Amino acid sequence: MRLPQSQAAVLETASATEAQTIERLAEETGRKPETVTGAVFDLRDEGLVAVEERTESSVDLTDEGRTYAEEGLPEIRLYRAAVGAGADEEPVQMGRVIGASGLDGPQVNIALSNYARKGYGRIESGEITADPDADPDEDAEAAALSAVAEGEEVTDATVLERLDSRGLVERSERTVRSVTLTDEGVTALMEGIEAAETVDRLTPELLTSGEWRDVEFTEYNVEADAAEYRGGKVHILRQTADRVKDVLVGMGFKEMAGPHADADFWINDCLFMPQDHPARTHWDRFALEVPPIHDLPEALVERVRTAHLEGVGDDGDGYHSPWSEDFARAVALRGHTTSLSMRYLSGHAVGELEPPQRYFSVEKVYRNDTLDPTHLLEFFQIEGWVMAEDLSVRDLMGTFEEFYRQFGITDLRFKPHYNPYTEPSFELFGRHPETGELIEIGNSGMFREEVLRPLGIDCDVMAWGLALERLLMLMYGFEDIRDVHGTLADLELLRETEVIR
Amino acid sequence: MPVVDVDPDELRRLTGHEEKTDDEFEEDLFALGLEYEGETEDGEMQLEFGPDRLDRLSVEGVARSLRYQYGDDRGVYVPKTNDPDWTIEVDESVPAERPCVTGAIARGVNLSEEALDSLIQLQEKLHATMGRKRAKGAIGIHDLTMLKGEVLTDEGKGDNSVTYRGIAPDGDRFVPLDSDAELTPGEVLEEHPTGATYRHIVEDYEAYPAIYDELGLFSFPPVINGRRTEVTADSRDLFIELTGTDQWTIDRMCNIICYALDARGATIEEVEVDYPDETFVRPDFEVDTKRVSHDRIEGMLGVDLSVDEVVDLFERSGLGADAEAGTEGMGGTAAEATGGAEIEEAEAGVADAGVTYEVSVPPYRVDVLHPLDLVDDVGRAYGFNELAPRYPDVGTVGGRHERSRLEDAVRTSLVGLGFEDLLNFHMISEDENYRRMRIEPGEAVVGGGEPATITEPYSEDYTMLRTWALPSLAMVLENNTHRAYPQDLAEIGLAAEYDPEKNTNVAEHRTVAAVLARHDATYEDAKARLQALCGDFGAALQTPPTEHPSFIPGRAAAVVVDGEEVGVIGELHPEVLVEHDLELPVAAFEFRLDALA
Repeated sequence: MRLPQSQAAVLETASATEAQTIERLAEETGRKPETVTGAVFDLRDEGLVAVEERTESSVDLTDEGRTYAEEGLPEIRLYRAAVGAGADEEPVQMGRVIGASGLDGPQVNIALSNYARKGYGRIESGEITADPDADPDEDAEAAALSAVAEGEEVTDATVLERLDSRGLVERSERTVRSVTLTDEGVTALMEGIEAAETVDRLTPELLTSGEWRDVEFTEYNVEADAAEYRGGKVHILRQTADRVKDVLVGMGFKEMAGPHADADFWINDCLFMPQDHPARTHWDRFALEVPPIHDLPEALVERVRTAHLEGVGDDGDGYHSPWSEDFARAVALRGHTTSLSMRYLSGHAVGELEPPQRYFSVEKVYRNDTLDPTHLLEFFQIEGWVMAEDLSVRDLMGTFEEFYRQFGITDLRFKPHYNPYTEPSFELFGRHPETGELIEIGNSGMFREEVLRPLGIDCDVMAWGLALERLLMLMYGFEDIRDVHGTLADLELLRETEVIR
Repeated sequence: MPVVDVDPDELRRLTGHEEKTDDEFEEDLFALGLEYEGETEDGEMQLEFGPDRLDRLSVEGVARSLRYQYGDDRGVYVPKTNDPDWTIEVDESVPAERPCVTGAIARGVNLSEEALDSLIQLQEKLHATMGRKRAKGAIGIHDLTMLKGEVLTDEGKGDNSVTYRGIAPDGDRFVPLDSDAELTPGEVLEEHPTGATYRHIVEDYEAYPAIYDELGLFSFPPVINGRRTEVTADSRDLFIELTGTDQWTIDRMCNIICYALDARGATIEEVEVDYPDETFVRPDFEVDTKRVSHDRIEGMLGVDLSVDEVVDLFERSGLGADAEAGTEGMGGTAAEATGGAEIEEAEAGVADAGVTYEVSVPPYRVDVLHPLDLVDDVGRAYGFNELAPRYPDVGTVGGRHERSRLEDAVRTSLVGLGFEDLLNFHMISEDENYRRMRIEPGEAVVGGGEPATITEPYSEDYTMLRTWALPSLAMVLENNTHRAYPQDLAEIGLAAEYDPEKNTNVAEHRTVAAVLARHDATYEDAKARLQALCGDFGAALQTPPTEHPSFIPGRAAAVVVDGEEVGVIGELHPEVLVEHDLELPVAAFEFRLDALA
């Protein structure tokens, strides 16, 4: 039989008639007890040895107990000092006795509390008396302490209990395993045992010398947990954004880019947002303390102004709201990425666009809004638009059905809605793939003529927007975006977050 | 978005549909664009909707829309009005900031407690929306019987009149609502809770707006009415006045109120508004018209419709529509004029191509700015969800923006190098951006750009756009000292600074920042990774020594890529570490993303 070295050694050392402890086997084989234990269990599993387990209790002195074993128990030292000072005849002042005893620190209190308990004498009003009949040599606790120190067994359980409660001894239990050879073990030995050479690691030397052919590799516990390993990971919101970008590029959309800080003109005025619209008041937008934008396309500004004040077309009415170019020129952080759409549609981003076109962006917007689990002061907006001749509401619906189907959201419903910049406008609702709930998934519409005509667009443009965070929440069950976005992000959570498929 | 509370029992009564259940109403309202948000404590439905159909801000308005939706009412309805008996005189003294006034009288209104609540709610919602929190328009409703007409000295203007004028802040006294004391307008702003709320609107006016009858001051718009004319559920005749900055706006607000009162059985009576140079009769119930072509409607909805269907849909939207045949192939004769013969032809489906509708729009509508808004109404009446979606048959080529591709490529490399990709806010505080990193605004080092600051920050934590990203990463380290190390973090994101040379006066760029926080982090650890990163992009990296207050002297270098200085690398200064409660070294780098382009 061929066995790993440690097992072969244990088998050869074990006896069929005399049980041997692991420690003894370790000593005799010259191996570590834990190695022997492992080998013994393996041999037992093979049926070659039998293992008997019993519990053994042991008593050891604590540091304090060891001190008293050498110097004597404090109460006995006190008694001897008291007798020396004549306290067995008349009360003696305590201070003198303690001084003579050589006790100090906490030992003094220990001595005093045990002195009276054991009947060595009395302590009253600062004076000490000693019982002349007491015999410290008969002190059971002192005797037991010496016995433990000598490694002898203490039979009086009450005294042992007392020493334990005084913190002088420590009692412990351990399992002792004794090993004997089974009949199969004896047979195996008689048939002959060959020890295989085992190695822990495959080394370059083993490989180059070819020795690896003659060795046995120690077995690992392949089920044990390994140490934690952390690689890097793309941020969960970036992963979501990438997924959205993949879908949109697949649907023929091109990506837009543009400034985060922009003139209100591009952010709001081009969008036909009246200047006294509640969303344009100072507490909803992040105005920047920088001078107004240098250049705006003058002809476009004039057309936008006219659209606001007079409307577009023969039967168009403008808003009954004031319009000032100064406001339009003020610079703020964009509240939506529709500012990019305006720049692109106007021809000022990538030149005049001829239909058909599809464009998108997944970028940050800034809103001085109520904070909630999906809306921080900064969040990502998915924005997309399609420009073509003769688009109808049905085309808009078809596009969104396709987009949301990619995320498993089906059964879209279109709730008529109002936006200053689109008409018709719809809030999009869809059925959640898992919960089956009808959930709001975006805002959409056909850009108004008051938006498009000033930009020089004569065909139709449909557009929609949605918070990326909302999609993350809906699709991947994220509950609170605040844990991952921003400097309060929890690294542990980021590290443990599953990736997006 | 506005939310209006509607009692479903009132809705059943006002629509005449006692059989409708709450659930059915919910469904019907969704089609109108009103979303059921929940229920109030009193069992009223809370309905949320877009701020366009402000005429639906009351149960009366919602009921009116539903009756059209159900086909119970059709076409444009205009309440009959009685001739004016009262005049609003506009005095020369009115504040220039609030020159406009309008009004109406409603007699015989049937006000229950519920109806009064609804009226007050409508008034408040109109204030919040069209009235721009009373700055643009404010409504005062009074018990007419408590007013005493001022007999005018110049004859011919009717016996009853009130006067809109401007007075000094302490120019007169009156007892405002919810008060027992006689106060001057100035005192109302100081002492009355409502005064405190609206003080900002009038406090800079040269004169305060005030409305008088023969007995004296009874309204201090846009702040508060006097107690004398307070409306109760027992009031039957009401005087409505509105003041504001825009005549059209307050006239429309007035119309919406009058329509709601008409639904409560009131007879609307006109008032004369006498400006120094012109006279209006109000309310202005004139019906506006707009023209929209049949083609436009079909094109927008993507369905074929007959002329009859379209007219029906208009009428079910509370609009009126006259179809007129177009000139092409129709002999140029309007169908209306010829008794609709051509229309019949149009219904055959051949000739509707040239048809145009003259659509009449009732005077409570405030959202019709363009004929397209009428197409939207047709769509709602048709039911948008009845339309079959179709994928537009339009071919385009998709693609990513160059910068976003580069950003993703760099992010992939960073993650491969073991960095955890982070996402921080672009807004930061000056303290975090500069002081805690030991630099100052305007300092000629990476991160030292002048700040683009936010005029009215949300909190002191977000007062500017960050000029670099290392401060954000240092804060993440600071907030995660209880988490396992090493913490190797990276971020690619926006950084920006004030730059008068730029069109927007803000220079924006994408920045790449990384930190290695571990007990044995050194400059070399950071440089090894930066080298690898540059290698991925075929960029030549040099790191000549530099000085930067955020880094340990002698252990900082400029990041020079392809000969251009684009960033900084080094070991963070112990003072920066201690400032961020870090108890181990941090090696870091930051440079411009476009350096790897």
